Amino acid sequence: MDSKGSACSNPNPNPTFGPSKLMLAFRFLRALSIVHRTTPASSPTCRGRRIERAAYASMAYSAGTSRAWSRAVLRRLHHRARRRAVAPRRLSTTAGNRAEALRRLVPGGAGMDYCTLLEETADYTKCLSMQVELMQGIVDSASSNGR
Amino acid sequence: MAAPHVALQELQNGGGGADRDDFFDQMISGLAPAWPPGLGDPKLLFGVGVGGKAPEVASATEGVRYVPYDESSLLASRLRQQEATRGGRSLTETSMLLQLGHHSHHQAQQQLLLQSIAQPPPAGGGDSRGFLPLPLSLGSGGSGDSGLLVDRSRDEVDAPFKSPHLTEAEGLYSNGFGGSLQRAIQAPTQQQLLHHPQNYGMGQGTRTGTAAASASACGVTAPPRPRVRARRGQATDPHSIAERLRRERIAERMKALQELVPSGNKADKALMLDEIIDYVKFLQLQVKVLSMSRLGGAAAVAPLVADMSSENGARADGAVGGDDGSLTAAEHQVAKLMEEDMGSAMQYLQGKGLCLIPISLVSAISSAAAACHPRPPGSGCLGQLNRPTHHAAGDAPASPTISALTVQSTNGSGTEADAPWPAGSKDGAAIP
Repeated sequence: MDSKGSACSNPNPNPTFGPSKLMLAFRFLRALSIVHRTTPASSPTCRGRRIERAAYASMAYSAGTSRAWSRAVLRRLHHRARRRAVAPRRLSTTAGNRAEALRRLVPGGAGMDYCTLLEETADYTKCLSMQVELMQGIVDSASSNGR
Repeated sequence: MAAPHVALQELQNGGGGADRDDFFDQMISGLAPAWPPGLGDPKLLFGVGVGGKAPEVASATEGVRYVPYDESSLLASRLRQQEATRGGRSLTETSMLLQLGHHSHHQAQQQLLLQSIAQPPPAGGGDSRGFLPLPLSLGSGGSGDSGLLVDRSRDEVDAPFKSPHLTEAEGLYSNGFGGSLQRAIQAPTQQQLLHHPQNYGMGQGTRTGTAAASASACGVTAPPRPRVRARRGQATDPHSIAERLRRERIAERMKALQELVPSGNKADKALMLDEIIDYVKFLQLQVKVLSMSRLGGAAAVAPLVADMSSENGARADGAVGGDDGSLTAAEHQVAKLMEEDMGSAMQYLQGKGLCLIPISLVSAISSAAAACHPRPPGSGCLGQLNRPTHHAAGDAPASPTISALTVQSTNGSGTEADAPWPAGSKDGAAIP
């Protein structure tokens, strides 16, 4: 249902110091336009959630399948798309155990050892921050253009 | 000592077909004359007449702790069972050389007891393993013989003498002795058996094989069994090496994370982890908020996907002409593809490592990209396609079009050359 991103293989010549910002932007914007096109204006909350899913999807696709967290995100998205479930809620972390809290935050963190968890957290944080910057830039440019 | 041997004779004689109780009585009575005076009636101790309940334990002598009757009766019954099956054993074999550390009484009694009880069923078959004989040579006594005895009887001791019997034995003969039995069975080595004396005095059954420890504690004559223990800080163990590697790896990753997370205090590892968790939560929250805020509607997005049909034509030629020739060719190609199918155009671009970006976003993206690249912001090679492109299936009232702007990114550095920047003015042509 949600056509948030096509799984096109991307022979990007850029070396992977992390997911490329440009690819991220491209994917996200494409998805964003799709959301705006397909969502009726009467359901703003629905659109918001779809945009959020689009953000995570574009993040995951940009990161590729070499990352455990991106695989987990895509898995979750595809399952939810089929089952029409609500977007996953973020669990609050009453950090009795910090490792557990981290596992809950990072997608796919449940099934990995601590060492890998830290590595995935780093990559996930990088991608998240890039995504946030991108979205912030979009909002800023939208607002600066006035409307 | 003659008495025990006398008893033995009696036992042997009477052991064959005699009634078991009789045998037992004989044994005890054989003991009685030689029984140390302070010990009390052996019958009491051994609970002769098995069926009945026992008189209380005669703990007349100091340091001698005998089990409550129950265990002794159990042991006695077991003896009787074994009597029939026990094979003929020579006295030497079954002689128990118990030498207790510091209780002479104890020692003698034990010896008597053991000898008398151990000997008995000489006529039994050879398959009765376990309880007897237990050639425990301890301490200083008869080390040579005892060694032999130990070795020989070790196997016999092993198999059937499981813990229940051990408890009985232990209870019967003071706990130390039982412990020694157990130890003989569990870890029968000569040195360990040599350590039994220490445990006799100590009494309460140290069930685990702490023979060596106790031996060292009591300063036994025989050398304790050599133990290999890795010293702290020494990586003798493959496990510890792996552990160290793992810890180093974790430390590396924590360092990498620390650089990502904007935090002033990076001292404590635990606090750092909390910071990381909070930062990830914050980022996720921001995504959520930003996605909500764009609910302003299509209006918010439309400027980004402006229709540039009118402006593109004149400007594009000049812009393109000033750029790389290959870029121009690619752009043309993309434009052609875009007319037919958006998807194929995008794939073509991606195959070249290019992507389409709305003009208005160029500033945002390039500044953001420059933040992570060590390059001056605002430098980008922007080529404009001649014609606006239309989204494949868009036929919403405000059909969004993606303004085609190719940004060429070379290997990793995203080299972007300067180019005419139509961004601001172009976006002015927003679709309402």
